[in-house]
Amino acid sequence: MDFRLPAENDPRRAAVRNWLSRHPKPSGRQLAEAGYTVPHWPKPWGLAAEPELQFIVDEELCRAGVMPPNLINPVAINNCAQTLLTHGTDAQRERFLMPALACEEIWCMLFSEPAGGSDLAALCTTAKRDGENYVVKGQKIWTSLAHKAQIGVLIARTDTAAPKHAGLSAFLIDMKSPGVTVRPIIDLSGHENEYNEVFLDEVRIPADRLLGKEGEGWRIATSQLQTERVALSKPGAIWGAGPSARDLVNGLAVSGHLSDPVVRDEAAKIFIEGELLRLLAFRALSDRMNAKPSGPEGAIRKMLAAPHGQHIVEMAKKVQGPRGMVAGEQPFPSQVGSGKGSYSDWDYAFWFSPAVTLGVGTQEILKNIVAERMLGLPRENDPTAKLPWIEINRAKSA
Amino acid sequence: MNFSPDEDHLALKQSAAAFLDKEIALDPLLKPGASVAQANYRLHWEKIVAMGWTGIAVPESYGGLGLSCVDVAMVLGEMGRTLAPSPFLGNLIGTWALLKLGTEEQKRRILPAVAAGTARLALAVGDAAGDDHSREVSAEPGTSGFLLKGTRDFAIDADGADWLIVDAHNTETGRRGFFLVDTKSDGLDIDVMDWRDLTRQVCDVRLNGCIGEPMAPFAPADWSWVRDRILFALAAECAAGAQQILSMTADYAKERVAFGKSIGSYQAIKHSLADMLGQAECANVAVLYAAWALSEEASQASLAAAMAKAFAGDAYVDCTHRSIQIFGAIGFTWEMKNHLYLKRAHANAELFGNSRAHRSRVIDLAQQAAA
Repeated sequence: MDFRLPAENDPRRAAVRNWLSRHPKPSGRQLAEAGYTVPHWPKPWGLAAEPELQFIVDEELCRAGVMPPNLINPVAINNCAQTLLTHGTDAQRERFLMPALACEEIWCMLFSEPAGGSDLAALCTTAKRDGENYVVKGQKIWTSLAHKAQIGVLIARTDTAAPKHAGLSAFLIDMKSPGVTVRPIIDLSGHENEYNEVFLDEVRIPADRLLGKEGEGWRIATSQLQTERVALSKPGAIWGAGPSARDLVNGLAVSGHLSDPVVRDEAAKIFIEGELLRLLAFRALSDRMNAKPSGPEGAIRKMLAAPHGQHIVEMAKKVQGPRGMVAGEQPFPSQVGSGKGSYSDWDYAFWFSPAVTLGVGTQEILKNIVAERMLGLPRENDPTAKLPWIEINRAKSA
Repeated sequence: MNFSPDEDHLALKQSAAAFLDKEIALDPLLKPGASVAQANYRLHWEKIVAMGWTGIAVPESYGGLGLSCVDVAMVLGEMGRTLAPSPFLGNLIGTWALLKLGTEEQKRRILPAVAAGTARLALAVGDAAGDDHSREVSAEPGTSGFLLKGTRDFAIDADGADWLIVDAHNTETGRRGFFLVDTKSDGLDIDVMDWRDLTRQVCDVRLNGCIGEPMAPFAPADWSWVRDRILFALAAECAAGAQQILSMTADYAKERVAFGKSIGSYQAIKHSLADMLGQAECANVAVLYAAWALSEEASQASLAAAMAKAFAGDAYVDCTHRSIQIFGAIGFTWEMKNHLYLKRAHANAELFGNSRAHRSRVIDLAQQAAA
């Protein structure tokens, strides 16, 4: 056991620094071509890097002030593009991967629907085969980045007579296709929209955009939700992209609040949580290095990390008093503009925070997953799981 | 960089688990009115001596095994998981104290016997928070050593120990010092307290002019070294105890049926158990990190130990409380083990500084580390 991180004089760091000195402001394409966007992927996309090298690459890019590509194009880089490696055809990989990794084509994930968020498999959007095309009809919601995306990863129902999990298929759709309408959802933060509604009205998708086979949609969707980059998931607000507990304690120290024993105690609790979550993330990294497969423990980390992010911004907001209710007011002005764009905005991070225990699995669903898969408690009974999908609504109304 | 325990560590943990599962029976404590006197302290200790665990923290040069804190964490965790009533912890704490605070001659004289299991140590300091001098013991120079006068409460495993390590106010130097006391000395009374944690013997020590041998000159950093290890040891017991009470409670939730299905299928229960698992995982990683930092004498060792004590103490208390709620009324009875874990959790959380005290230190230590 060794909790030391790779040393400052590690030759692998020097290689990355060298590259960065030759590319001081790297473009998305330069990063992708160097393999730094997805170092954990096989060549030619990545560097086939073991976890320690991934860690080094991430850390060096971050220190050089490079905006991480996985924050610019998160759906592609963190979740969906990797499934093209396993489920896609050569032609699909050739067409889609490099533009995605280079952040030249932004992706979005067309999964959730108005009628069901947590019960994703019950979705109603259909895709009917029609000659060389599929024709898609339905509505999606809570789609991050749909207003900026060129490519959508769509899960739609290709077989309405099969049970709900079995009738789904995955597609890559062009978001500029006729019949696709994107409407922004302004969330309570009032910030530029993060989420959208997407209406799909007789959208024609070429059949070669089917990902995997018909009926594999559920497997692909769940593998995408579980595909977790092993490198740093830094604990902090906004799923780790925002201020951290270390930022909080530094801010409270500078503003003099730590002399209040109540603030001090709360801040220490949050600080310790953050440090332990960091260690859990490192341990997941070690497990990958020791060839232990990733399992449901990712759900535990999210279950802990999402409320932790809320605790950080709630504490900062509390010390502001009524001043914190003025739009845009920052608790720790010295930290604003520290290079992460809106992610260094404490006020936004606070008002966004209710979302982090909803998105990518609500807190309740995560706790079910943790209790069922890690503690072996009985699975929730889903009376609709085995029914042909078309029967479900009839059963409900009966 | 490897944040997971090695094969050797896991093998040590498994052998400790196998031994303790076989040897430790808590049944005598589950009869109402039982106290630590029924906990088979002496019998368990004899078996532990036979296992050679008395020497785990004694360096090889003094006849011990010289294992690292990571190894010690594996054994301590199993002791905590099974609540093994025995003077193992008190002797371990005493060993660390003698190792750091004793003179070379004292170490040569006593540590080999400790490693062999023929001598037992215990620590009796200011109060169990470690830094508080309010109930001072005075040490006055006498003809054959110093004469110690005063009281020390909450001394773990002092009864039956051969040597006590006591801190006192040295009236000659006007400074704090540590003294070694032979428990056969006149003028020493040790009483076992009516301590709520039945699995641990906690004592009241009254020094009525008994003789103390001065130890090495006092240095605050040396005491920190000892205290960090004590915090880590208590945290290691807490983390493993939380894991154990979780596992017992999850098993019960699967078996116990209400309204035609196991109570573990209800989300109120599931979610509470998921919260317990989250806490147990964090406590576990906190302890391993502290164990590693102490083994390496790393600069963040004090911070890591304080974080582990603060987090694991609270986590254990919360998990044992939830356990009783999930078991329902039966979990509130003396005949179930739940209360033994609850009481150990509260006692460990209070000994050597509570969570809040250590959180306050965490802020200072983190600020120092960042500066």
